[in-house]
Amino acid sequence: MTKTLAIAQKELSAYFKSPVAYIILVAIITVFNIFFYMIIDQNREATLRDVFAVMEFMFVFLVPLLTMRIFAEEKASGTMEFLMTTPTSNTSIVLGKYLGSFLFFSLLLGMTVVYYLVIEYFGQPDRWPIVTGFLGLWLEGGLFVAIGILTSSWTRSQVAAAITSYAILFLVYFSASFIPYVPETFVPVVRYISTLTHAANFSVGLITLADAVYYLSGIGLCLVLTRISVENRLW
Amino acid sequence: MVIVQNISKHFGKIEALKNISFEIGRGEIVGFLGKNGAGKTTLMRILTSYLPPTAGKVLIAGQDIEKNSLAIRRKIGYLPENPPFYQNMTVREYLKFAARLKDIPARDTRVRIDKVLDDCRLLYVQNRLIAHLSKGYKQRIGIAQAIIHEPEVLILDEPTSGLDPVQIQQVRNLIKDIEHKRTVLLSTHILPEIELIARRILIINRGELIRDQSLEGLLKQEGAATLEEVFLKLNPPQAQRIDD
Repeated sequence: MTKTLAIAQKELSAYFKSPVAYIILVAIITVFNIFFYMIIDQNREATLRDVFAVMEFMFVFLVPLLTMRIFAEEKASGTMEFLMTTPTSNTSIVLGKYLGSFLFFSLLLGMTVVYYLVIEYFGQPDRWPIVTGFLGLWLEGGLFVAIGILTSSWTRSQVAAAITSYAILFLVYFSASFIPYVPETFVPVVRYISTLTHAANFSVGLITLADAVYYLSGIGLCLVLTRISVENRLW
Repeated sequence: MVIVQNISKHFGKIEALKNISFEIGRGEIVGFLGKNGAGKTTLMRILTSYLPPTAGKVLIAGQDIEKNSLAIRRKIGYLPENPPFYQNMTVREYLKFAARLKDIPARDTRVRIDKVLDDCRLLYVQNRLIAHLSKGYKQRIGIAQAIIHEPEVLILDEPTSGLDPVQIQQVRNLIKDIEHKRTVLLSTHILPEIELIARRILIINRGELIRDQSLEGLLKQEGAATLEEVFLKLNPPQAQRIDD
């Protein structure tokens, strides 16, 4: 446990030791701010539903940039050899790295809580869908980060890791668009895989067991696969 | 202390190690020789449980490396061939991270870090970023992380590569200081080096262990004055092709 935290701390501080983290934070928050302004200006509604939809879409592009280096960089620089010859279990390594990236993502998401304060100040928003909306985005980000870490564990090239996770995230995110093209029997499966289906429930205030299970089992699956990949040195 | 039984390692069709066996007792300093690509690094990686062997068994301090990998890693200090660092950490941060991963109790961490910083003469650079330090410093940081948890077995892959003569001397003294306390297995290309440090020599050629003797015994048997003569005799330089 203490080693998991040591690795998480190292990963989190690594973000802040490179200018990339600050550039990403500033750029992404700026884009969010612009969309927030436009959406509120056009809708004239005290709700964050459309803002959440935009953020979710942006995370598809953002998260691979945060996670691509997690394993690929260590493998390329040889520090993986250091890490794996210390008495640290592969589970601690995977969990620590996941935790570090997920905390950074959470920080980014945390900064957008300001949007709630703004609409609370100027209107009477329905609070519950906002709470569940943030929860949904947080879980979804957790899944995206897990996917990003998995692809990073497959290669020593950060670019290859990012591209592979884009491919998987696009498939997962746009899965619902394929519904007209798949046989009838697979439609429920394809709909279930789509993150949009699940996030939509959260953003209208619904927390269902199926949605929670979807995200948590997705995260669990990716982390188990990452551990297997690390264990078997699949690179 | 270290028992290697019939280790083989295949990478696809390439046989990197063929049926290697040897034993190293407590407190021995063993030099490990071989040409580039002979299998030295592969063997060291197997001993540190970074790579699993294709066949065979490794026992360290009486424990099987495959079954008790984590417990054994606590007893091993390892300096890889190219010491890997997190470039954006300072020397102290890196050693602190290493200490946490190597199960050093939090209350001892500071003392241990100060000790290895002193032993490896890194005190002056402890708060500098590793990325900004020279090769000689990096090599010593690599040694510092290898000995920070006071391992019983120290495995050093070319500890003096890329160092200037003064630094080589310092590293040599460092290894000599550790003698008697620990078992040391080191590889190097610099043969006079190994003559000064090691008591026993293992020579590996194309994945096979071809010599395992004390330094004196080896020189006597081969009728050579220096290790270099022995090495060149066992690994004759191929006739150079001259292109005009």
